[in-house]
Amino acid sequence: VNLFTPYEQSESILGDLLEEFSDLESKSGMAFACRWYWRQSVRTVAHLIGSGFRGGPWKIAGFVVVGFLLSFFCGGRLEEAVVAVLNFGRHPHDNPYYTWSQAQARIRLIMYGDLVGHLLLSLSIGCIVAMAVKGREMVAAITLAFVLSVPAIGLSLVWSARHGPFLPLQLINPLNGSIMIVIGGGIVRKIRWTAASRTTPVKSAKSDEC
Amino acid sequence: MPGIDYLGEFEHIVVLALLRLGDQAYGVTVRQEIELRIGREVSIGAIYATLDRLEAKGYVKSRLGDPTPERGGRSKRFFRVSAKGMAAVNRTHRALQSMTVGLDLVRSCSW
Repeated sequence: VNLFTPYEQSESILGDLLEEFSDLESKSGMAFACRWYWRQSVRTVAHLIGSGFRGGPWKIAGFVVVGFLLSFFCGGRLEEAVVAVLNFGRHPHDNPYYTWSQAQARIRLIMYGDLVGHLLLSLSIGCIVAMAVKGREMVAAITLAFVLSVPAIGLSLVWSARHGPFLPLQLINPLNGSIMIVIGGGIVRKIRWTAASRTTPVKSAKSDEC
Repeated sequence: MPGIDYLGEFEHIVVLALLRLGDQAYGVTVRQEIELRIGREVSIGAIYATLDRLEAKGYVKSRLGDPTPERGGRSKRFFRVSAKGMAAVNRTHRALQSMTVGLDLVRSCSW
């Protein structure tokens, strides 16, 4: 709930959830209260995402397109960038490896470098999109992650049906990237939430019984 | 008519709940009142999304109460209907009444 609402509103919503939870716990027991709490929390978050999107659909759509283009163009240059980093300081005519194991090590470096670069790039894009859409950081990040992952999910399903459950890296990367975009949005949201809580201090929550 | 806004279905229900609850209208009581009166389980998020929209339109006003221990030290956010909100709920109510005049809803639904 904190991730999807402005600070003042999240305090009221969390307070309301906790008050009803305490009331239900005393009347119907902990198990029932916990079930109610999680059901309410999930429905509340779903509503907040929906209302967040409806509150500024064009702005969110615009920055999602920007994020998509960034991901498309920068993602395409990633391998070149990784190779450029690995070759940094080396003379262009130098042979980078001398033995088979050195060649394998270099290929592994490029592969892992590409993966790490892809994750960092996605995290950065998530942060950029979230910073641009103030107040609806998570909605924008989730929308972008959804847009990027839908083709990969579709292709993954087709691949799994034809070739079995093990997916190639090209299909897993967009899914990892989508998760990193959401994490990026969450980081920006959390930073802003913490900044808002410093300017409007309130007492801390009682406990996390569930 | 341009410039005249009517309340949506759920907005109407929420404003009527605020009017029923008076000074005791905040998230929990509004949610429980709606659940009690119309038997529809609504989420706290739906209530707040609607209340925020109504506040942005100037139909309701909110104030923070004192923090209470059963809420983990968090404040209640009390809501009340503004004069503009009263005008909107009356306008919506009249519009619904005029649209239903002459309709025998029970009979027309009996088929």
